[in-house]
Amino acid sequence: MEALGHLLQGFAAALTPGYLLYAFAGCMLGTLIGVLPGLGPAAGTAILIPLTFSLDATGAIIMLCAIYYGAMYGGTITSVLINVPGEAASVVTCIDGHQMAKQGRAGSALGIAAIGSFVGGTLATVALVAVAMPLASLALKFGPAEFFALMVAGLCLVVGLAGNNMLAALLMTVIGLLFAMIGVDPVRGAPRFTFGIEELYDGVGFVPVVMGLFGVAELLLAAEKRQTHMVEAELKSWMPTGAECRQSVGAIGRGTVVGFVLGLIPGVGAIVPTFMAYVLEKRVSKTPERFGKGAIEGVASAETANNAYANASMVPLLALGIPSSPTIAVLMGAFIVNGITPGPFLFKEQPQLVWTVIASFFVGNALLLILNLPLVGLWAKLLKIPFSYMCAGVLIFCVIGAYGLKQSLFDVWVMLGFGIVGYLLRKLDFPIAPAILALILGPMMERSLRTTLEISGGSFAIFLDRPVALGLLAVPVIVIAFLLFKPRSLAPLRESDIE
Amino acid sequence: MIIRRRTLLAATAAAAVASPALAQNYPRRAVQLIVAFPPGGSTDVGARILAAAAEKDLGQPITVVNKGGAGGQIGFTEVARARPDGYTLGFLNLPAVNTIILDPERKAAFNVDSFIPVINQVLDPGLIWVKGDSPYKTLADLTEAARKAPGKISACTTGILSDDHLAILMVQEAAKCEFRIVHFDGGAQQISGVLGGHVDCAFDNVGGVFKRVQSGEVRGLAVTDSERSKFLPNVPCTKELGMPTVISSSTRGVGAPKGTPADVVKVIETAFLKAIKSPEMLQKMDAVGLALKPMVGAEYAKYYADTQAQAKKYTEWALKQR
Repeated sequence: MEALGHLLQGFAAALTPGYLLYAFAGCMLGTLIGVLPGLGPAAGTAILIPLTFSLDATGAIIMLCAIYYGAMYGGTITSVLINVPGEAASVVTCIDGHQMAKQGRAGSALGIAAIGSFVGGTLATVALVAVAMPLASLALKFGPAEFFALMVAGLCLVVGLAGNNMLAALLMTVIGLLFAMIGVDPVRGAPRFTFGIEELYDGVGFVPVVMGLFGVAELLLAAEKRQTHMVEAELKSWMPTGAECRQSVGAIGRGTVVGFVLGLIPGVGAIVPTFMAYVLEKRVSKTPERFGKGAIEGVASAETANNAYANASMVPLLALGIPSSPTIAVLMGAFIVNGITPGPFLFKEQPQLVWTVIASFFVGNALLLILNLPLVGLWAKLLKIPFSYMCAGVLIFCVIGAYGLKQSLFDVWVMLGFGIVGYLLRKLDFPIAPAILALILGPMMERSLRTTLEISGGSFAIFLDRPVALGLLAVPVIVIAFLLFKPRSLAPLRESDIE
Repeated sequence: MIIRRRTLLAATAAAAVASPALAQNYPRRAVQLIVAFPPGGSTDVGARILAAAAEKDLGQPITVVNKGGAGGQIGFTEVARARPDGYTLGFLNLPAVNTIILDPERKAAFNVDSFIPVINQVLDPGLIWVKGDSPYKTLADLTEAARKAPGKISACTTGILSDDHLAILMVQEAAKCEFRIVHFDGGAQQISGVLGGHVDCAFDNVGGVFKRVQSGEVRGLAVTDSERSKFLPNVPCTKELGMPTVISSSTRGVGAPKGTPADVVKVIETAFLKAIKSPEMLQKMDAVGLALKPMVGAEYAKYYADTQAQAKKYTEWALKQR
């Protein structure tokens, strides 16, 4: 109850015109960052930190947080329209979102993403207010062993649910893991598979790879078909229909839960919850064969999980002072520069500030919805631009994005190279998503496994001693056993695949 | 001293070749400051405060560019390879620069002579800490436990061959004990690791954890320095605990690529020194728990050389254990 009182005071502060303006400006800038590929939330927030120097601490934090979740939403727009994920967490949205656009349903996809983001973000903030402190401490029990088990379970589920393409999905996962090995060894520090190329010391850049596999490959395919427009179907919808909304209710609910729970665990990153929510949705769906062909639940689940995650990852930051993703680390740096050190003492020392910021999360989520729904139609209209212009525009956009990430020309070549790889894979009908997930999870998996073994002194028995880790490792075993021995009962699943 | 003479020679030689008019109108455009660690960490926070203050005195904007990854190797390489015209500077983290050079497996594309140490900003001493409710009340409790059960008490670093890793080796040597060393990736992982009960103690720096020590959430056992930290006056230093050989810190300062003309270096040094000595700098750095330690010229060059010598011994040890 005390929390509620504080929160109401927070709302009173957050709704003053000045702070409202900061939140609004933050949402706008954030959306823009999300739209620009390469300029992900982490880099975008870092660049904009100086903008907040002239504001007071609360105003600065409100604006930076708004930039953060604005960026988490903005990535959706390019994913749906041109199959280029603006940031990592939007990769999953490409899978069904762009298919929807191809069917003339871009408006529905963007609309449901805005609604799902709002619901997920708001519910996660409610949960944050209610359970932040106890849950945050509980999440700390999630150590490197559990982390590794979670990653393995995630990868196996994606492969296991790939249907009749299971072998191809497995192959793509292994290729993704191999690419993830490139770079400096996370524990010993020795470079591996870098062939003396300094740019590879930090691994193959994830963003250029994704932009190549999705965006550039899409352009090549469209050019080959001599399309006149990026999307040839007539625009059928500006807004999700009633039926589409009803279809998405369950997906939004489940996406919120998945995003919130995974947001509590430091280090998971934004892309894992979106994948997990998507896989879960496909698993519970009565018509899983629609996934990958423009299922609105696919977009709704991923986008909801994405924003629920973004708001939930504030829990470890505010309650424990632990940044759970690179973007949150930038935010934390901004907090510190503004004279605020996040952590348990923050709630005691500066309750006014914390609760104003939390109240501004609600305000920001609402602003984002108000800002984006009317714009959906405008965005969708972009698809009417003739392909010849659109193609050049998208390519320039991708090149700038890949270059801007680290000001490195090498990344541009990586993007173009993977564009050709992506084109060939699409031609051969190989699923791309498992490779991308493996590329992201690979380094995290390797590091957590090796840290676990350092803690245990090299003994694998540590996984048997830890019930949560053991349980998580059992999930893929059960799923795979189930698929092997009861293939008939899962017949509908085998029709489709994760792509 | 040898290093300083060599860099001076190199700098003068380059200055003679390069346009002599360079320094007269330096700087004419924005200066890049490469930080070899990602945004948000202690290094980045300090660098951004410094850049914002020094650009007033330099008369041109200073842009902080984060080139994180591989324990600083990516960013340091970039600095070493940059054109030595004073428009690309680097933030040098010692002993991170040294240990990368000393580890043959890292195949570093730079060596000690690749950088001209211009001016140091921060000296952040090491801090050995445990959970707030840990049974280890003092450093002696901890080392005693690690001596009785060798290799059973886990101690975490912020990365292999970081100053924290070297500090663990120093404590092991001084107290004749053996920890189980766990390498994490930065301070945030240490905090979840120790608070979650996955590891027993952590070696980090004062700046990263001093607020938590002040609030009692974690317990500082010792500062690895010859004097106490002003931010943690109640935490003893290793010297007073009878371990005068355990002296470890992370220092951060500005360096220029080899060959940067000496007069340009002087302009940079003057502008940054003025910024570091300003009262606003002290106030801002106090708020984030980073102790200022301005060093320039021969003093900083000697510190750089001494760090290299000290790091050599412990890096060789670490490599043997690998």
